[in-house]
Amino acid sequence: MRVEYINPFVESAFNVLKEVLQGDIKRGELYLKSTSMPVMGVAALVGLAGDVEGRVLFDMEKVSALKIASAMNGEQLTVMDELVKATITELANMITAQAVTKLHELGFRFDLTPPAIFTGDNMEVSDQDVEALIVPMETPQGKIEINVAIRERG
Amino acid sequence: MNEAGNAVAEQAKVEEKKDRGEKIDFKMVTFVLAGKEYGIDIMNVKEIAHAGRFTYVPNAAPFVRGVYNLRGEIISIIDLRTMFHLPAERKDEGALENLLILQIHDQVFGIIVDQIDKVVGINRSSIQPPHPIFGDINVKYIRGIVENLSKLYIILDVEKIFMPKAKEEKEDAYHHAVPARAAANPSVPTHVAPPDAADDDLELGFIREALAALRNFATSAINETWFRRRFDEWKVIRSGRDLQLKEGGEADLYLEGFFSPYTGELWGQEYIEAFESILPAIEGASINVWNPGCGKGFETWSVACALKRKYPNGRIKIWANDSDLLNISMAPNMVFSFDTPPEYYAEFMVQGRNGWSFRQDIRDAIFFEFHDVLNTNSVPPSDLIVCRDMLSFLNPLDQKRVVLDFAEKLKKNGVAVVGANERLDLEGWEPAGTGIITAYAKA
Amino acid sequence: MKTKDDFPSLNERKPEGMKPDGTPWRVLIVDDSMFVAKQITQILTSEGYQVVHTAADGLEGYEKYKELYPNVDLVTMDITMPRMDGLSALQKIIEFDKNAKVIMISALGKQDLVKQALVAGAKNYIVKPLDRKKVLERLQSVLGK
Repeated sequence: MRVEYINPFVESAFNVLKEVLQGDIKRGELYLKSTSMPVMGVAALVGLAGDVEGRVLFDMEKVSALKIASAMNGEQLTVMDELVKATITELANMITAQAVTKLHELGFRFDLTPPAIFTGDNMEVSDQDVEALIVPMETPQGKIEINVAIRERG
Repeated sequence: MNEAGNAVAEQAKVEEKKDRGEKIDFKMVTFVLAGKEYGIDIMNVKEIAHAGRFTYVPNAAPFVRGVYNLRGEIISIIDLRTMFHLPAERKDEGALENLLILQIHDQVFGIIVDQIDKVVGINRSSIQPPHPIFGDINVKYIRGIVENLSKLYIILDVEKIFMPKAKEEKEDAYHHAVPARAAANPSVPTHVAPPDAADDDLELGFIREALAALRNFATSAINETWFRRRFDEWKVIRSGRDLQLKEGGEADLYLEGFFSPYTGELWGQEYIEAFESILPAIEGASINVWNPGCGKGFETWSVACALKRKYPNGRIKIWANDSDLLNISMAPNMVFSFDTPPEYYAEFMVQGRNGWSFRQDIRDAIFFEFHDVLNTNSVPPSDLIVCRDMLSFLNPLDQKRVVLDFAEKLKKNGVAVVGANERLDLEGWEPAGTGIITAYAKA
Repeated sequence: MKTKDDFPSLNERKPEGMKPDGTPWRVLIVDDSMFVAKQITQILTSEGYQVVHTAADGLEGYEKYKELYPNVDLVTMDITMPRMDGLSALQKIIEFDKNAKVIMISALGKQDLVKQALVAGAKNYIVKPLDRKKVLERLQSVLGK
């Protein structure tokens, strides 16, 4: 993944999580994975288009998704319902949107495509052999792995 | 890490308390070999370990099971049972063996035993002189016998077993202790004949292991010629002394002279002009270049300028990648603090607030990517591949994979440039370089 | 006996969602995200606003505005929605009622759309993540005009 794309995602993830979760947010070491499959149970996906093609995937455990949605809604949510899904989707959207804005400032034309959310039962994000950059984020509500796979177009 | 070691220390304390009656002035680590109890002076025991998967060393004596990477130190592993011709239970490959890590003077090595028992403390006066009847091994190697809590222990003289002593002893010990002597000092040949090819092989083998463990440098057909040439130099450099690489600094010394010219800097005039001369003729308007392992990017910038000169009307695109995030992040915005840029690069550079950097059109030609060359990539079919000194730092299997990838990616008339001391004298490739630049085309 | 009304307390602040006559401002929320709609609802109702309806896309929002007219004082409009997006819905509502008060809700990065919306007649915009203070301020500024 192009070097210039990395920081915007790392910073946006940190900024948005800090703002909506209000707790101690820590970033783990970045690394590369050979496939882009999500692994933890709940995955929110935002597509990227424009100068590039690819997507940003937010991978987390179901328990964390519930805790995060609870924190963002200010109430205890215990079931993976429409509200929880909408909340996680919104979080994915906010982080990706902020990253895309930063990339715009750097001269890269990216567009977001509408987000989707996958949970354990319908986890069929295609396992194309695409290299992904993993940005692990530690939040008080658990770990979120931000999984970015971007390919230059043409 | 050393849980076992601590247990030994604890045991020692316990034993001490038990033998309150007699003064304890000798402690030994006891272990079992073919059903009998032995002991080694605790002063010689560095630690206890459990390990399997020793790296086999060809041409070593049969009781040298292999070598082992003990936290960065490469040590020989000797199977004491084989050495003393005792029956030994052969474990599955990879199953953990019981090891005593010994240190005698400055030599460290491991010995495999059946079972490790405990630390026993005794008074020296209770040690009896050895008698052949008590041991299965030559009485020469027994320091004495001692009884403790109704157990009989045979105390081994590790110095006699593993260390060469005075010259006469060396001769005399030769008949029995050739194995021991070699085991203690891996650089010493395992037979009487003076150093020859077989011994060199042993040395080479150990050095290969050390380079891989310490610096991820894998010897293979790609760098074998250089490696052997270097070994001859190394023998001279280290004449008389131990040839082995014991830590990082020594590995770096060995690798001195491997790296291509202008590593970590912009390429010099003569070098870059030689590079221009091996570039293929390109039909079509676009030139695609793959530059894996670009490190900090100096070579990428150099290549970009050379291409701009050679193909002034071409649309140049370079995919430069490295799996070291720190290095590659610095590459796109490289700034130089010269007073005036080197002649070759001057027309491609502009001066800014912080120093000299490359012209926008040169910058636009390069995509610096954080990428692991072993993962799939989206680099298009390439006219040129520049991969200096990267293949040698992949393990041999991965080296093969990547070279196959090169063959697939490279266009028909394309050229692949590798490190100064690397070679692709493999099937499917033919040399296309000059003395200065090592390049290959597809056969 | 004197009542609370006889002694206007210095500490008592009138909820922002109340019109001068004591009735609440009526707000139509148009957003496809259940989460965002909920957030806005919470912020508004805590300040005394009344949420008259939540529409999940632009078309529904436009139809509801017409249906409830003139009993909608303000519309919050998400920029990206399926079926009919915020910009189109805005234009239709303004066409129908040139005095409609619409605030755009946008994720970062949609500046172009926001600008277009303002040109088309939106009164103001709020960028997500939604900050309670920011939301209330913007609403107040629009209602004040």
